[in-house]
Amino acid sequence: MLKMTNVTKKFGELTAVNNLSFEVEQGQVFGIAGPNGAGKSTLYNLITGLYPFEGSVTFNNGEIRGLPPHQIAKLGISRTFQIPQTFPSLSVEKSIGVGSHFGSRDGFEHDYVEKILRFVNLIDKRDSSTGQLNLLDKKMLMIGAALATKPRVLMLDEPMAGSNAKEIMKLMNLVQRINREMGITIIIIEHFMKVLTELTEKLLIIETGTEVCCGNPVDVTSDPRVIECYLGGNND
Amino acid sequence: MLIEIMDVIISGLINGSVYALMAVGLTLIYGVSKAFNFAYGSFYSMGGYIAFLLFGVAYFKNYLVVFCLAAPVLLVFGFFIEKLLVAPLRKRDDWEIKVMMITLGLALFLDNSYQVVFGARMKSLPSILEGAFEVGDFILSYQDVVIFVLSIGGILLFRWFLNNTRTGMSVRAVAQNPAGAQIVGIPKEFVFAATFAISTVMVGMGGILLAQKYFVTPGGGWNILIKAWVITAFGGMGSIKGGLYAAFIVGMLEAFVGWQFGMNWTLIALFAVLLTTLAIRPQGLMGKWG
Repeated sequence: MLKMTNVTKKFGELTAVNNLSFEVEQGQVFGIAGPNGAGKSTLYNLITGLYPFEGSVTFNNGEIRGLPPHQIAKLGISRTFQIPQTFPSLSVEKSIGVGSHFGSRDGFEHDYVEKILRFVNLIDKRDSSTGQLNLLDKKMLMIGAALATKPRVLMLDEPMAGSNAKEIMKLMNLVQRINREMGITIIIIEHFMKVLTELTEKLLIIETGTEVCCGNPVDVTSDPRVIECYLGGNND
Repeated sequence: MLIEIMDVIISGLINGSVYALMAVGLTLIYGVSKAFNFAYGSFYSMGGYIAFLLFGVAYFKNYLVVFCLAAPVLLVFGFFIEKLLVAPLRKRDDWEIKVMMITLGLALFLDNSYQVVFGARMKSLPSILEGAFEVGDFILSYQDVVIFVLSIGGILLFRWFLNNTRTGMSVRAVAQNPAGAQIVGIPKEFVFAATFAISTVMVGMGGILLAQKYFVTPGGGWNILIKAWVITAFGGMGSIKGGLYAAFIVGMLEAFVGWQFGMNWTLIALFAVLLTTLAIRPQGLMGKWG
């Protein structure tokens, strides 16, 4: 469904993503992990058209490299950010409505916005200003605005960051429901290995923009190369 | 004395309302694109000259017709200037400085073009409405009332546009979170151009309204540019509400200083207030840090 082939991104002398290739299947929950500065968020920025790059990214067999971000959103690729990105002066309902207005191929649908408000559990806060929300609700709102664009692929960037155990359970449950009930393919960047092993079907580990290994999450997390990349080398 | 004070207040309100219309446009551009538009004053003069040209044609000797024809001309002009001159720069490093330089160049180009085409002498526009209310010694011209009503009407229309239209919603979203707006499908580049075009209409309309009182000259827009910037910085960069308050404060201040000390002191007083405000509250009246 989403295929990256030999993607490289350099910022001056720094190579943020180095000849990376992988494919995400339709309906899959695909995990991406790696140490800080590995190039995970940069990867999202490349897929969503925020930066130019070398290589190829195809979505449903069509090349999306070079398309502007709003056109990529219209094709059905949406994302969230590690730090919740909201529209502070807009209400919760209007913020989600923005996604429906501009990102959805079907245009604005009031009933769909209602459905999303319920889905992300913000129906009681629909009139609140987004600036007044707590961190969990801001994350829910950001996911809601992304869902309002009717994505085929939703890319989540460290959705659990800064959350306590109870909030992590809520967010994990939401991610599973998005995948199973709405049939949306998920790509998730996360540091919590427990979250990745429970949620994902395939896991890619990258370090300094290069693939370390990719495969079944249980196998990947026990791979010596991954342990070395996260915990450092064996000092024997 | 009482009549004089009333005259000063009325004058302050009227000037403040037009300044508000123009400062909101400048605040809008800065709020959305974070770019300084130094050609803003020249767009003000353009409004006046378009009206002057239209009044030269017998068929158009009517302000309603002038507004209806000038608005789309200014809209299209602003849109294409943004697309042709500003948008290409945004892809480069240090684009904010480059935008300042190119709009400064555009301002000089336009002002010199006005001088070549229309001559250096000031042009006048007819009053929008002749006559005045007279209550004893107090006189209030219909022209001032109409200018005030149209300016406030323009601001309310702009507010309605921001809150109730699809483009308005996209403008607010891009102003608050450009990255987030793109990701939910908003075409940021179009919003930048649309914002530039709308602000060109607002300052051009201000130019038509004030040209009835202060004439049109090739370099007359610089004074307006300075005032609009003072108001924008005083109110808080990017804050539309702050810009509105600041516009009326500046209008009033000008009127009182002009009355008490003479018109030569108005700009000095304006900058004194701006510098004091920025020293105490650098973010302006309603701006935010960061």
